Amino acid sequence: MNALARRAAGLLLSTVCLPLSALAADPQPTHEFTLDNGLKVVVREDHRAPVVVSQVWYKVGSSYETPGQTGLSHALEHMMFKGSAKVGPGEASLILRDLGAEENAFTSDDYTAYYQVLARDRLGVAFELEADRMASLRLPADEFSREIEVIKEERRLRTDDNPMSKAFERFKAMAFPASGYHTPTIGWMADLDRMKVEELRHWYQSWYVPNNATLVVVGDVTPDEVKSLAQRYFGPIPKRDVPPAKIPMELAEPGERLLTLHVQTQLPSVILGFNVPGLATAEDKRSVQALRLISALLDGGYSARISEQLERGEELVSAASTNYDAYTRGDTLFMLTATPNQQKKKTVAQAEAGLWRLLEELKAKPPTAEELERIRAQVIAGLVYQRDSITSQATAIGSLETVGLSWKLMDSELADLQSVTPEDIQKAARTYFTRERLSVAHVLPEETAHE
Amino acid sequence: MSDRKSSRLILPGLIAVTLIAASAVYLLRPSESVASQALDKAQSAEKLQSLAELDGKAPTNRKLDVQTWTTAEGAKVLFVEAHELPMFDVRILFAAGSSQDGDVPGLALMTNAMLNEGVPGKDVSQIASGFEGLGADFGNGAYRDMALVSLRSLSASDKREAALALFDQVLGQPTFPADSLARIKNQILAGFEYQKQNPGKLASLELFKRLYGDHPYAHPSEGTPESVPKITQAQLHAFHAKAYAAGNAVIAVVGDLTRAEAEAMTAKVSASLPKGPALAKIAQPTEPKAGLSRIEFPSKQTHLLFAQLGIDRADPDYAALSLGNQILGGGGFGTRLMSEVREKRGLTYGVYSSFSPMQVRGPFMINLQTRAEMSGGTLRLVEEVLADYLKTGPTQKELDDAKRELAGSFPLSTASNADIVGQLGVMGFYNLPLSYLEDFMKQSQALTVEQVKAALNKHLSADKMVIVTAGPTIAQKPLPPPTDKPAEQPLGVPEH
Repeated sequence: MNALARRAAGLLLSTVCLPLSALAADPQPTHEFTLDNGLKVVVREDHRAPVVVSQVWYKVGSSYETPGQTGLSHALEHMMFKGSAKVGPGEASLILRDLGAEENAFTSDDYTAYYQVLARDRLGVAFELEADRMASLRLPADEFSREIEVIKEERRLRTDDNPMSKAFERFKAMAFPASGYHTPTIGWMADLDRMKVEELRHWYQSWYVPNNATLVVVGDVTPDEVKSLAQRYFGPIPKRDVPPAKIPMELAEPGERLLTLHVQTQLPSVILGFNVPGLATAEDKRSVQALRLISALLDGGYSARISEQLERGEELVSAASTNYDAYTRGDTLFMLTATPNQQKKKTVAQAEAGLWRLLEELKAKPPTAEELERIRAQVIAGLVYQRDSITSQATAIGSLETVGLSWKLMDSELADLQSVTPEDIQKAARTYFTRERLSVAHVLPEETAHE
Repeated sequence: MSDRKSSRLILPGLIAVTLIAASAVYLLRPSESVASQALDKAQSAEKLQSLAELDGKAPTNRKLDVQTWTTAEGAKVLFVEAHELPMFDVRILFAAGSSQDGDVPGLALMTNAMLNEGVPGKDVSQIASGFEGLGADFGNGAYRDMALVSLRSLSASDKREAALALFDQVLGQPTFPADSLARIKNQILAGFEYQKQNPGKLASLELFKRLYGDHPYAHPSEGTPESVPKITQAQLHAFHAKAYAAGNAVIAVVGDLTRAEAEAMTAKVSASLPKGPALAKIAQPTEPKAGLSRIEFPSKQTHLLFAQLGIDRADPDYAALSLGNQILGGGGFGTRLMSEVREKRGLTYGVYSSFSPMQVRGPFMINLQTRAEMSGGTLRLVEEVLADYLKTGPTQKELDDAKRELAGSFPLSTASNADIVGQLGVMGFYNLPLSYLEDFMKQSQALTVEQVKAALNKHLSADKMVIVTAGPTIAQKPLPPPTDKPAEQPLGVPEH
């Protein structure tokens, strides 16, 4: 795939949370049930191939962490591979590898999730290993003391030595003054330096319980077989109270903030972010759908406004993108970034002005019906394409459930998007793209530090 | 197994794209582990009920009914019907990769990248909004052997026909407008500037130069800073006329189409292409001169690349080499290389070996990064591991494990339409039989230790290695002795 295809894929990613649509095709049968210990299970049947994906999602991530204890969720994710009652450190991964399975795990602000993709006859192995570490993680001190060094190294390599990651980390810390979303998922280095295995044990005991988890299974399975396997392996794990989890609420209009960062990069860039609600916190849900469509109008493909006007038309930027994640537990950001076209000697200030021209245009003039239709067509198609991957389907279900929304939203999503009018878009642009909600970062090469 | 080989670098890879990482998601990095044999241990201890209950049989695989025919103009078609989802994928592969550049390095990639920049009556924006307004995804890419163009669309006839009509135009009547050519040249040149900061990329460029000398695989698909500015519209038209000819194309189709619909559709695509035969196959490369090149670079880590000529796609030893490589360094943890270099000595986060079978002999490669002061010792260690492996071959246990893993992961390789269209494309492009996937599995499962060892020694030799390093010149330290628990954590992240 080249840039064009990848850009289109970007739109699909941004719609990752809404697989099904009335227009698209008959939805695959999807079932949900809850075990007595509170473990919620969602099963989607997809019988195209004899494979299955199993995912366990815990409602805990870096936005749950407190100052001084940042990075706990991510560190715990690492330690989940270091042995539980039935397996030693690293052993589960080798067992799965030998069975031809793919496995992975990921931590974010709102969740920590673990998954396996494997031939359908091996689902029980995935469940047994996953249930074992839900119930009886070992957390050996010697493994932790080695692993925390690996995590620090990961931080150095992926954040401290990676100019754009570092810029985003600092940007988020500034853009979320009130909520836990200012915490970087990997944790601040000072907190990693003083992290103790006892803190991880406490974090594990607090949040890793069946009643704080969702098991998602998509593939060539029946709900009955999943239910009996889930009951067998997860059923015996006792329920336990979890601490109260507060939704991350932000100041609506914190005031304009500016960050200038000099990093080791060849390419300067600018980041804009507006404090806006997400689907879980918005009073006016249509404004959320309007923001999603705005993101697509600006950056939803090679024919979108950024591409057409800024990249090709003015040749002002060599790359630019927008991001609006509506599917968060709390208030979120609408972000734009751009890298000025250096071959054409464009500056960060010019690129920033270019982004603002696009935003002002949205405020001044509603988009044409034709342009909106083009965006919706991509969204609708994306809903179908997403169903080609069992992992995407499971991820959509799991993330919706874990941020406090229902997977059933997937079914109404398209209708919600279609109810948005050009005027809704103009209104959302006027409401949210204001200086009071704005954070700006100028990310510049180190050479210019003293200019 | 599913693969699109050779250089993956194309426009976006060259340009540092600033992506928004809205919710920073941290993926698991494979964790430390001790030895392999975990499955056996767990089974024998009967700790896992679910494992004890597995009957040990290979899992079932999706049955693929691959249909094939040739269009009137000579394009080979491979088709799999899949009506479960209301969508289809078509991927057209041309023998129009950079190995066909001739004396204009970068011409193949530029032609491919310019296809959707203009057709009669439509400029780049109109083409883009045409596809996007239908919800269709257009894609393209150029590598050493092949250039490909793909379309994913809804199968409802109104969407399908409009998307295909535009697709056919883009393939058959590109205008290669001058303003787009200037813009894309600029992007590629910016990418060359950016490459100068990337020691891994510099090492890889040098490696291919050393390995292939005057052969067309030697230069990178994106071309060179000298060649790209000189590419003309006339050259693009000429390259398109011969390399995007129907006789030089393979069409892979998967999705919600009947055989009749697929035939009609591929007949139209084929008719819209320039007329002409397949291009002549490129020559086999000649053996390179073994030895070491160093690139001086002020990084903390040193990149180490090892290569020799491997095999082409038609080689009957592919299954044996693939399995043999899996044990040497093709998998993750527990391979010979990973065990010696990472697990016992903590010298790297990841070390991988691979065969890339191509139209003619593609490379066998080993790559890793390590701390600069350990690079000399690590280099010798890798050479020793390979030499030892060639001498002794895999153990029965290693071979059995690799077979089991291969059988277990096989169903995953054709699970989605996207997977299948990729497999069909490779099968068609390299003229493999329709039963290729099953044949490969059967062949692999039947291999003996002696056969794998013999195949490895037939194609590889410990003293034929071309080696390139990129890193700083600093005082070297001796390697730590092997241990089960490395004390010092390695720098670097695994390359994937």
